[in-house]
Amino acid sequence: MSPIPVILDCDPGVDDAIAFLLAKQLPQLNVLAITSVAGNVGLEYTTYNALGLLEFLDWDIPVYRGATGPIFRKRVEAAEVHGSNGMAGFDLPHTRREVEGIKAWDAIHKYAVEQQGALEIIAVGPLTNLAMAFFKYPDLPHLIKRIVIMGGSAEEGNATPAAEFNIYADPEAADIVFCAGVPMHMCGLDMTMKALMTPAELDQVAALGNKQAIFFRDVVQDIVEFMDRLGIIGINMHDPAAVLYAADDSIFKAYPAGIRVETKGSITQGKTVTDLFSDAKWPRNGFVVMDIDREAFVKQVLELMSKY
Amino acid sequence: MTSKIPIILDGDPGHDDAIAWMLAKASDKLEILACTSVSGNQSIEKTSFNARRVMTLLGIKAPFAMGREEPLHGEPIHAGNIHGETGLDGPALPEPALEAEPVSAVELMAKTIAASIEPVTIVATGPLTNVGALLILHPELKPKIAHISIMGGGLAHGNWTPAAEFNILVDPEAADVVFKSGLPLTMAGLDVTLKALVFPEDFERIRALGNPVALVVAEWLDFFYTFHREIGYAGAPVHDAVAVAALIKPEILTARDYYVQIETSGDFCRGATVADHYGFSHQPPNTHALVDIDREAFIDLLAEAAAWYGKESE
Repeated sequence: MSPIPVILDCDPGVDDAIAFLLAKQLPQLNVLAITSVAGNVGLEYTTYNALGLLEFLDWDIPVYRGATGPIFRKRVEAAEVHGSNGMAGFDLPHTRREVEGIKAWDAIHKYAVEQQGALEIIAVGPLTNLAMAFFKYPDLPHLIKRIVIMGGSAEEGNATPAAEFNIYADPEAADIVFCAGVPMHMCGLDMTMKALMTPAELDQVAALGNKQAIFFRDVVQDIVEFMDRLGIIGINMHDPAAVLYAADDSIFKAYPAGIRVETKGSITQGKTVTDLFSDAKWPRNGFVVMDIDREAFVKQVLELMSKY
Repeated sequence: MTSKIPIILDGDPGHDDAIAWMLAKASDKLEILACTSVSGNQSIEKTSFNARRVMTLLGIKAPFAMGREEPLHGEPIHAGNIHGETGLDGPALPEPALEAEPVSAVELMAKTIAASIEPVTIVATGPLTNVGALLILHPELKPKIAHISIMGGGLAHGNWTPAAEFNILVDPEAADVVFKSGLPLTMAGLDVTLKALVFPEDFERIRALGNPVALVVAEWLDFFYTFHREIGYAGAPVHDAVAVAALIKPEILTARDYYVQIETSGDFCRGATVADHYGFSHQPPNTHALVDIDREAFIDLLAEAAAWYGKESE
């Protein structure tokens, strides 16, 4: 089977960086391009980090610059998690690589047309770029096969009690994307909070000895400390889990559901509301990924990182 | 011997309210000081009539007063699809042998609480309209309210809408007042009540007890399960009875303490109970949220309560 053509829409971001490391080695994925979006940190950093990561990985794919902030509201950041440059202070190699001359949403449409309906999107940041693309290109929903996101939660949030960060960062964009008519696969906190790697497992990765594997462990250390203060031992591999899901969903459990995003509540803005457990049902627009075989996940990570 | 917990039963009977009241009356740990009705499962006229019929059937000798039709803010919502046209469809019930007091539910609550020597526990198994109004109109009585045990909400999801459970959705503003009150609050939400399933074989166990109350309870369960079976439930979720079980037999329940807020606005989330799992709000917990139940022990509790009515009449 030929690999799935995908665009990785992201806001690197520490766990985005790990997602890059895995995406490059996954035989099921053919990553055509990276699109950057403001999220964990500002767009200038996420774009710079995307270029730097490609340089570090010696990976020759184009980067398209996306949205500087949400469509209808002010930007929120997660710099306390990812450090002020988004890479936890980690210095990526300087690069002469440059972003392409068209915007992320134009690129998404261009690749979608070229791939004739086979393109999939893996979006691991706020969904602003995709919402812009759907605004601009009415034919786009028919051209994208599916969208796998890291974002949302059927249960509790991590940016607020109700909302997960990526959705909270641009709730209107998220709802636009959920309603666009493309099957949505929501890798939310329900699953990603179980995609945990322990410090010992991070050391196992680093022990593979290649520079990418050592980077893998080192770049997440600040987050490991941050999580420790929250009482969680290890680090949740939010974005990497979504990338692995997009490549092969056999170690995950996903359930069809109707999903919408609250954009107006006083304490629930950015909450992904699912009808998974309720008596009232909505039209189904996607899948909520609820579970992951953690042991198998860690094994996959080790296998992929050993390829470097 | 420890003294009984003085309680007020506030509900919208309703099959599961009626079963909750059956459980409360049979318990030697509870003393029912008053009953009040609220608009919810059906209109206030219907839930009030049902409340009086249920009190008559169960032999609850306590004053009763009617609540109001409208929530504190917004339009009423009813659940006739689940509880039937009367709000308590199914078995024939006795005509009410008692009249409503000539005061509102809120004033009967206030009078009862003021007159009680011991602080009073409120068991609220319908929308929180009466309890919310009580706290707004009689804040001076708060020290005399020991505890509020509610059936309502869900930490992560709803039933009437994807985000909201019925009782909270009907009157989110009232729920907001109650959850912000600072009073000890036990929440029997969907997290636990969807595990409090009564299976068809349990109906038969209760029916086989043979006394008039047990027979009616079995038929209530038959009716209540009709709707739920159609949408895939393995049994009847007797939501409201969990709020009473929490007082009688807390040891069969598992709970977690959370700071819980009520969403009163939003396109999809009005009526959602939002729990602060990670302490974002830097507030101490305000809610003892029930999350699991020993189902077998819960069924035993219901069956023992139903059996009590047979012994009582001997």
